[in-house]
Amino acid sequence: MNLDWTIVWQHRWDLAQGAGLTVLLTVLTMLAAVPAGMVLALMRLSRSRILSTASLWFVEFFRNLPLILVVYWAFYVMPVFLHIEFSAFTTGLIALCLNVSAYNAETFRAGINSIRKGQMEAAIAVGMSRWQAMKQIIIPQAWRRVLPVLASTWVSLFKDTSLVSVIAVGELAHVALQIRSSSFRVLEMLTAMAVIYWLMGYPQAKLADWVHKRFEVKE
Amino acid sequence: MNSDNMATRTASHSERRGAHLPPVVVYDNVRKLYGEFVAIDGVSVQVNKGEVMCLIGPSGSGKSTLLRCTNALETVDGGRVLFDGVPLPTDETNARKVRRRMGMVFQNFELFPHKSALDNVAIGPLTVLGISETEARARAMKLLEKVGLADKAGNFPSGLSGGQQQRVAIARALAMEPEVMLFDEPTSALDPETIGEVLNVMKRLAEEGMTMMVVTHEMAFARRVANWVVVFDHGKVVEQGPPGQIFENPTAERTRDFLGHLGWNG
Repeated sequence: MNLDWTIVWQHRWDLAQGAGLTVLLTVLTMLAAVPAGMVLALMRLSRSRILSTASLWFVEFFRNLPLILVVYWAFYVMPVFLHIEFSAFTTGLIALCLNVSAYNAETFRAGINSIRKGQMEAAIAVGMSRWQAMKQIIIPQAWRRVLPVLASTWVSLFKDTSLVSVIAVGELAHVALQIRSSSFRVLEMLTAMAVIYWLMGYPQAKLADWVHKRFEVKE
Repeated sequence: MNSDNMATRTASHSERRGAHLPPVVVYDNVRKLYGEFVAIDGVSVQVNKGEVMCLIGPSGSGKSTLLRCTNALETVDGGRVLFDGVPLPTDETNARKVRRRMGMVFQNFELFPHKSALDNVAIGPLTVLGISETEARARAMKLLEKVGLADKAGNFPSGLSGGQQQRVAIARALAMEPEVMLFDEPTSALDPETIGEVLNVMKRLAEEGMTMMVVTHEMAFARRVANWVVVFDHGKVVEQGPPGQIFENPTAERTRDFLGHLGWNG
């Protein structure tokens, strides 16, 4: 078999650009999905039936749909039914945000619920409102507990961004697959793609491990 | 024994502390249910100003529940709780205003683990009273001095012994300048050697005239510091009176039985 690895080098700038977009997608998704997840979690835990149910439905809907389906739906169905049309990048970003927000909501909810009931009571006993207690006492503690989980979500998300390649967002997977189909260098490009993802993903996974250790809860 | 002495003794027995002042807390036929279980079954008790009231009795007899009904952490299912002559509000906003005037100390301290000892004490006034950070911290420092922990101000709860944590918790409750302090088994989670330091702080507080309700299994404390002792069993008040009467001359069979089980024979 004759392999031609120069194809990778030839397209190094395209690949770099794709990798940059992958990172950008990951960062933007997390930037939106962390606050959104927090809001969803607080809605879910609120005393309002309406807010709680709305959050529950949102989370259960997007958590149980395959991400790739949400991506397709956002791209093909949303414009038709809702008459909203965005660029492929924005569409992909929205799909990722919907999915990751749902996961983050569950993470925050679990984190908040893991704080002893007595902490809320102690805060209320000094005269705080439930919201003040949440803000001052419960969320800061829950935050520390969920950081490791958020780090894991980050690492998963980094790889899952490849799914938006199906709607031609020019991130790493899409760029690599495009080069593959135009040059027929399947083995080289798939290998290069794997190496690039791995080299970028591994340090993030290590960083996540470090966050796990660093923020381990000690009482 | 001279007659003078006799007179004071009689007075202290017959006249309850703060009897001439309006009571701070009044429980009027209070009932509390957990499903089918009757936690408090028609309790009527009053707490006078400047009085140290100890609630004693077996576990699960309703003492802690009554305390938690006092600052509306639990709602009552029957009867009324009056604070300063006014029934406890049932809505959150007004309940919060009442809670500010009461301090509570929990069995498991419940210090905020992400805040230093100083910030634990300062957070109440800072968040609730909206005073400045400098003022809140100065107030907190004074209170830590009062409980003998000024040198631990920067420590986090995880770096304090159980006794120290509970003293910080007392300071935290005092920071709101409460009119009554509620102690829910404050020494039950402590190592024996640190119980004394907490009881001493409480004793000093009592001597300063703080109105205190103390749910406790520390009979020596109840005997020496309390002005009034209430004995609970199965959600009911079995007997109440000055400690001398309860510990030396209990009238109810159940009180004798309970004290007997503690190895206390008067």
